[in-house]
Amino acid sequence: MRGDPRHPLAWTVGVALLCLALLFPFYWMTVTAVLPTSQVLAREPTLVPALADISFRAFAAAFERKPLATWLTNSLLVTVGATALSLVIASLAGYSLSRFRTRAQELTGLTLLLTKMLPGSLIVIPFFIMATTFHLIDSLWALMLANAAVGVPFATWLLKGFFDGIPRDLEHAAMIDGCGHLTAFLYIIVPLARPGLAACAIYLAILTWSDFVFAKTLINDQAHWTITTGMVSFIGEHGIDWSALMAAGVISMVPMVVLFLLLEPFLVSGMTSGSQR
Amino acid sequence: MPSVAITAPRPGSLARRERRFAYALLAPAVVAVFALIAYPMYLIFAMSFREGKSLNFLALNTRPFGLANYQIVLTDSATWHSVWVSFAYTFGTIIPAFLIGLGTAVLLNRVFPLRRWLRSLMLLPWAVPGVMVSIVFLWLFDASFGVVNYVLRTAGLISTDVAWYTTESTALVAVIIPTIWKSYPFFTLTLLAAMQSIPGNLYEAAEVDGATAWQRFTNITWPGIRGQATLALVLNGLWAFREFDIIYAATGGGPAKATETLGIRAYNEAFGYFYMGRAAVIGVLMLAIALVAVMLARKQLRKEFF
Repeated sequence: MRGDPRHPLAWTVGVALLCLALLFPFYWMTVTAVLPTSQVLAREPTLVPALADISFRAFAAAFERKPLATWLTNSLLVTVGATALSLVIASLAGYSLSRFRTRAQELTGLTLLLTKMLPGSLIVIPFFIMATTFHLIDSLWALMLANAAVGVPFATWLLKGFFDGIPRDLEHAAMIDGCGHLTAFLYIIVPLARPGLAACAIYLAILTWSDFVFAKTLINDQAHWTITTGMVSFIGEHGIDWSALMAAGVISMVPMVVLFLLLEPFLVSGMTSGSQR
Repeated sequence: MPSVAITAPRPGSLARRERRFAYALLAPAVVAVFALIAYPMYLIFAMSFREGKSLNFLALNTRPFGLANYQIVLTDSATWHSVWVSFAYTFGTIIPAFLIGLGTAVLLNRVFPLRRWLRSLMLLPWAVPGVMVSIVFLWLFDASFGVVNYVLRTAGLISTDVAWYTTESTALVAVIIPTIWKSYPFFTLTLLAAMQSIPGNLYEAAEVDGATAWQRFTNITWPGIRGQATLALVLNGLWAFREFDIIYAATGGGPAKATETLGIRAYNEAFGYFYMGRAAVIGVLMLAIALVAVMLARKQLRKEFF
């Protein structure tokens, strides 16, 4: 299976064709977004649109008709906040688990497994009660905390794997030179773990950006909706404007798609080193 | 600093300081796990014994305590229907997704131009939010103007339009397909990683012995990835079992409960009918089923988690 195929270029073409087939939904979404409604709502849709028909009016329409900019901003705030918070908590914990034997070590695996079993639509019930108690309904803070908490166990485990791969001698050397342990961690280990932190950050960002169940339940006020709850609100409408909806969909996916494509190698190496131990 | 060697603390106090440092680093994570996972789980269990419905979530403690919720939920045929839907959805998703993931991983486990970019593109659906996946497929499978019906019509496979999401017999398939699309990259990623950890000289030896591609797969690749494959199946199975976004955005559980998995049902009981206790019981049932799956796969999971 491994090694060079006899005709590497033919292999590229074959894989590229399969890729095109698998990514057809993206293509169709974009085509729908750039074609006028008359061609979108057709019994015989045009599979390959003529260049002359392409217009970006649907994008403008989507922004005019719905507070997309607000929703995108909210999503961005929550994503950045939750990712940063989770990342800090998880890197401290991951480092501790990697370097010291404590009672917590026995519980990490169990905690992680538990979060893999715990449905979002279930955990959101107590979150809702807690948010109501602390008057945090309709607050982006609640959303940030909920998403951050859900991300911590996996992020910790991912980062522990990374820290395990960094020799202890490095921070020992620094500590002999007079660094405190925390300083050694921050200035020696963290920079070395950058690929792991990047992988972890992408993972957390995608997770938070995708969140629907927390946003739907903890936020009522339309001004505080995130992009996912906003997008779903299109569906219930009578006579869906598919062009505008697909345009909004393209916009909402662009940040994650760009992030993913640029940083995918980090993610792949991060996931694999984390799961190969 | 030369003074370090002189003032080095006794070993005992060093160990104690180290331990304190270790726990200090862990503290925020422990707080997060307790406040936002352990305590909520306790609330769910506590809630499952509180009877009746309530619009006042904070007054749940004042409701009568008992096993009525368990009795009502577990004797309701709709619950067992949901169990069936959940299983059909889970297995209907992970088996095709696994096969696509395996196929793509085998293809990508070669050296060829543009490999890194094609790999990135193949993994792309994983980065798409569940509700967006749902919305795109709602459009692809639209009854009147969807491209899927158009293709099937042109191919002569259907004579009238299929209303995929509003017909009871097709709705489940119509939510499974987007779920497959979103979850195959996870298999591609984990299986590809497993394949790349297989030593290359095994393949070279097979080549010398004149093994066919199929023989190389069954004798080298598959034994090399079987452990990771099982693990990936369990993890993705657990994910599909609790998946909410895709189904909720597409059908909300309908039509006529045809796509009402346990996760959807729990949510509807809680936020549609305000039966928090019943929702909690469904949650407990879901956790119990997940626990059985975990116990069945404990050998693989132990390697990974403990």
